[in-house]
Amino acid sequence: MTLATLKEGERARLVRVSGDDAVKHHLGALGFVAGTVVRVVGASYGNLILAVHESRIAVNEATAQEIEIEAV
Amino acid sequence: MANSVKIALAGNPNSGKTTLFNALTGSEQYVGNWPGVTVEKKDGILAGHREVVIQDLPGIYSLSPYSTEEKVSRRFLVEEGPDAILNIVDGTNIERNLYLSTQLAELGLPMVMAVNMMDVVRKNGDKIDFEKIAKALRCEVIGISALKNEGGQEAAEKAVAMAKCGEQGIGKREEGTGNGERGTGNGERRGLRRAPEVPHVFSGSVEHAIAHIEESIQGKVPLRSIRWYAIKVFERDREVINRIGLGVGEMKHIEEHIRDCEKELGDDAESIITNQRYDFIQRLMDKSLALNEKRKGKATLSDRIDKVVTHRIWAIPIFILSLCAMWWLAVAENGPGTLLTDWANDGFLADGWHLPFTTHECREEGRYKGMEFEEAQEEFAKAEATVQAWEAGEKKASIEDEETGETSEEWDVDEAAYNAAKEAKEPDPSQFGVWVPGIGALITGALERSGVSDTVKSLVVDGAWGGVATVLGFVPVIFIVFLFLAFLEDCGYMARVAFIMDRIFRKFGLSGKSFIPILIGKGCGVPAVMATRTIENERARRMTTILATFIPCGAKTVIIAMFAALFFREQWYVAALMDVVGIAIIILGGVALKKTRLFKDEAASFVLELPAYHPPTISGVWHHTWNRLKGYILKAGLIIFPACVFLWFVMHFDWSLNLLADEEIEKSILHDLGSWIAWFFEPLGFGSWQGAAASVSAEIAKEQATATLGLVAANMGGATTGSHIQALFGAVSDFPKLAALSFMVFNLFVPPCMVAIAVTFREMGSQKWGWFAVGFQLFVGYALALSVYRLGVLFAGGGFGIWTALAVVVDLFCLWAIFRPARKEAAK
Repeated sequence: MTLATLKEGERARLVRVSGDDAVKHHLGALGFVAGTVVRVVGASYGNLILAVHESRIAVNEATAQEIEIEAV
Repeated sequence: MANSVKIALAGNPNSGKTTLFNALTGSEQYVGNWPGVTVEKKDGILAGHREVVIQDLPGIYSLSPYSTEEKVSRRFLVEEGPDAILNIVDGTNIERNLYLSTQLAELGLPMVMAVNMMDVVRKNGDKIDFEKIAKALRCEVIGISALKNEGGQEAAEKAVAMAKCGEQGIGKREEGTGNGERGTGNGERRGLRRAPEVPHVFSGSVEHAIAHIEESIQGKVPLRSIRWYAIKVFERDREVINRIGLGVGEMKHIEEHIRDCEKELGDDAESIITNQRYDFIQRLMDKSLALNEKRKGKATLSDRIDKVVTHRIWAIPIFILSLCAMWWLAVAENGPGTLLTDWANDGFLADGWHLPFTTHECREEGRYKGMEFEEAQEEFAKAEATVQAWEAGEKKASIEDEETGETSEEWDVDEAAYNAAKEAKEPDPSQFGVWVPGIGALITGALERSGVSDTVKSLVVDGAWGGVATVLGFVPVIFIVFLFLAFLEDCGYMARVAFIMDRIFRKFGLSGKSFIPILIGKGCGVPAVMATRTIENERARRMTTILATFIPCGAKTVIIAMFAALFFREQWYVAALMDVVGIAIIILGGVALKKTRLFKDEAASFVLELPAYHPPTISGVWHHTWNRLKGYILKAGLIIFPACVFLWFVMHFDWSLNLLADEEIEKSILHDLGSWIAWFFEPLGFGSWQGAAASVSAEIAKEQATATLGLVAANMGGATTGSHIQALFGAVSDFPKLAALSFMVFNLFVPPCMVAIAVTFREMGSQKWGWFAVGFQLFVGYALALSVYRLGVLFAGGGFGIWTALAVVVDLFCLWAIFRPARKEAAK
C-alpha cells in the first residue's frame, strides 16, 4: 500500500521510501522514516498535503506512489 | 580583520533564520519562506561586536551531498571551519529541525541552539525542556523569538563567548590529542586540546562500525569533526570519501563493517542513519517536549486556510483573483500604478509636477486667469496650433494628441485669431500651484546656465537621461508587482501556489515550482531567472530558465502599450493577447523541449514544505521588495546609461566624427550599422536600418526599442513621435499594421535584455547551456514574427513569396516538434 491510496483525513504509518536516491533522502530528512505516522491534511487530483510531526509537506502523486505505508 | 570571530548561522528553511540574521547584523536580506532562495552566502557584522562575522548559510534540512545548498553549507562548515555554530531551530516544528541539529553537533564545534518562535510555542501552551536537549546534544540551548526581537542577541553573544575560549558548553571532557591531528586553523589557534564531546545518537552495531571507521580515518581529518566524517563514510558519502583520500584497501575493510550493519538491520546504510537519528530525536522529545493536550487533533489555522486555498475547485479561481488584484494595482488605467507611472514619466523625471492638494486656478491677470493648469495648457496648445496653421496658409487648425494620435475638432482661423494667438505665452506652472521641477527640467536648466554646447546638452538630456528615465519611469509598476509578490511569498501563500500549479504544469513537463519564476517574470526577467534556483531537478530548472522570460516583462509591456496605442487602437485586447501568447510559448515550448534528448525525464517528484501561514512583517516585505527593485534601478544606472550614451553617439555622428543635424540621421554611424544587418529583418517585414537598429537596441533594455524607434523615425512624416513611427512602418511595408505587429512580436519573444541574458548564463552554469537558451529564444521570436507577417500578408492578399514558403516550413517544423509522439522510455 502506498501513500497515493490515502484519502483526506486518513492516517498511516510509513514503512519505506523507494525511488531516486536524492528524493529518498530529502524525504528522509523531512521526517519520512519508517515508523512515523503521517496524516493526510489535504488531497487534490492525486497531490497530497501531509502532516509529518508538526510540519506540512506537499507531495505529488508520483512521489506518493514511492512511499510504502501500513495501516495504523 | 586579523582576529575576527566567525559564527555560522545554520538552520532549516522557514525557521526564521533570515529574520534573525537581519536582527543581528542589521544588513539587508531577503526574508522568505521559500526554500533555497538564499543559496548565495551572505555575511554581516554582529551588532556591537566589530570583530564578529555572522555567516548566513542557506536554509538546509540536512548535511547530505544531494543539493547545492547542502554542499555549500557543509563545505563551509567543514573546510572553512567557523569558530562556532549558531543553530536556529523552529520551536513549533522541533522534531524535524533537530535532524539537522544532530548533524551539526557531530562537527564538534562550539554550538548554541537558538529555539525560535518561542512566542508561538508559549501561545500554543507547549513546553520544551531546554536543559535536557542541551545535555543530549552537548550544546547550549536558548529560547528566542526573532520576530519579537527576544533572545537573539544573547544567543549570538553566547556563541561568540564560546568561540573565543574554544568551549563547547555542557559536558566537556579532557583528553589528550597526540594523534597528529591535522591543522584545522581555528581549533589550533584557540588552543583546543580536548577531543570534543559529541552526541552519540546511534545503536550498538552502528556505533561499533563508526568507531572502527574513526580509527581508520584518524589523522586524515580534523580531530574535532572526526565523528561527523566517520558517519559520512558509513553512509558511503562519495564527496567525503574522496576528500579524505581513503584508499581502495581501507575502504574495502570499512565496507565489511557497513555491510554487516546493513544485513543486521535490513536496510541501506544511509537509511539506517536517518532512521536512527529520528529514533534518537523521538526518545529525546518524549522526555523534553510536552505538547498542549487541548491542541491535539485540532486543525491548525493554517490547515483551515489551506482547505480553502488548495481546494480542488476554488484554488485556481482564488489565485487568478489575487493576480487580477495585483494587475489592477499595477497597470489599471485609474489604478495607483498608472497614476504613479504618469507622475514619474511626465512629472518627476521630466518637466515637473504640482504638489498634491496645492493646485488652484490661475490668479494672475492675463490669458489664463481663472483656469486650472490643464485648461491653460490646452489653451496654449490651441494658440500654437492657430499660429502654425495661419502661417502655413491654412484656414482651419486642429490639435493632435501626442500620445493617442487623435485629432481634435477643427476650428477656423483668421487674421484676428492669429494675432491674438501670437501673443500667447506658455503657462507658468508655478501660477497654478506649488510646482516642483522635474529632474529632466533641472538637468536642462543646469546645462543651459552652464552654457555648454547644444551637442552636449542633447547628449546629456536626450541621450543619457532620456534612456535612463525610460527605465526609471517604469519603477512604480515594477515596485507594485514586486511588493505584491513579496507579500505573497512572506506570508507563505507562494508555496501553495507552486503546489496548486503543479498539477497543470506536470502535464507540460514542468513542475509547479516552475510557475513562480514565470510569475515573477511579469515584473522583470532578471529575478525570475534567479528564482529558478528553487527547482531541485536540474532539467526542469534549465527548462524553466529558458522559458520563463517569454512572459512579457515590465519593459516589454512598454512596447506593447505603445504599439497598441499606435496601431491597434481598435484592438485593445492586443495587450492581453501577448500575455496569452507568452504563456502558450512556455507551455508548447516546454512540451517540445521535453521530447528532445536533452530534457527527457521520468515523472519527476515534487516535494515541498508548506510553512505555516503568518502575517508578513513590514520590514521583511520591504527588504524583500527593495532587493529586487534595487537590481532593476541599478540596471538603469550601470547598463542603460552607457548604452544610451553610445546610442546617442552613433545616432548623431558620422564616420568622420562630424556632428550631424537631426535630419541628417541617414548619414550617421547608426544608419550604416543598421543597414548592414537590415537583411536579417527583411523576412519579418521591417527590414530597414531603423527596424534593425531599434531591435538591436532592445537587447540593451527592451524599453529601448520604442525609444530608439522614436528617435530614428524622427524625420519621417507627422508631428509627433507616434506619427513618425506610423510613417516609418508605412514606408517599410505595404502592410504597416502587420509589420508593426511583427516588430512587436519579435521584440517580445526573442532573448531578453542583456542583463537577463547575463543572469541566464550564470544560472545555467555553462556556456553551452547559455547559448542554447539564447538560440532557442531567438528561434522562437524569429519564427513567430515571420509567421505573423508572412502568413498575415498572405491572408491579406499580398501573395505568396519565398519568405512565405520559409514561414510555412518553419511552422510545420514547430508543429512537428510539439506534436510528435514522445519517445518510448527505456527501462529504468
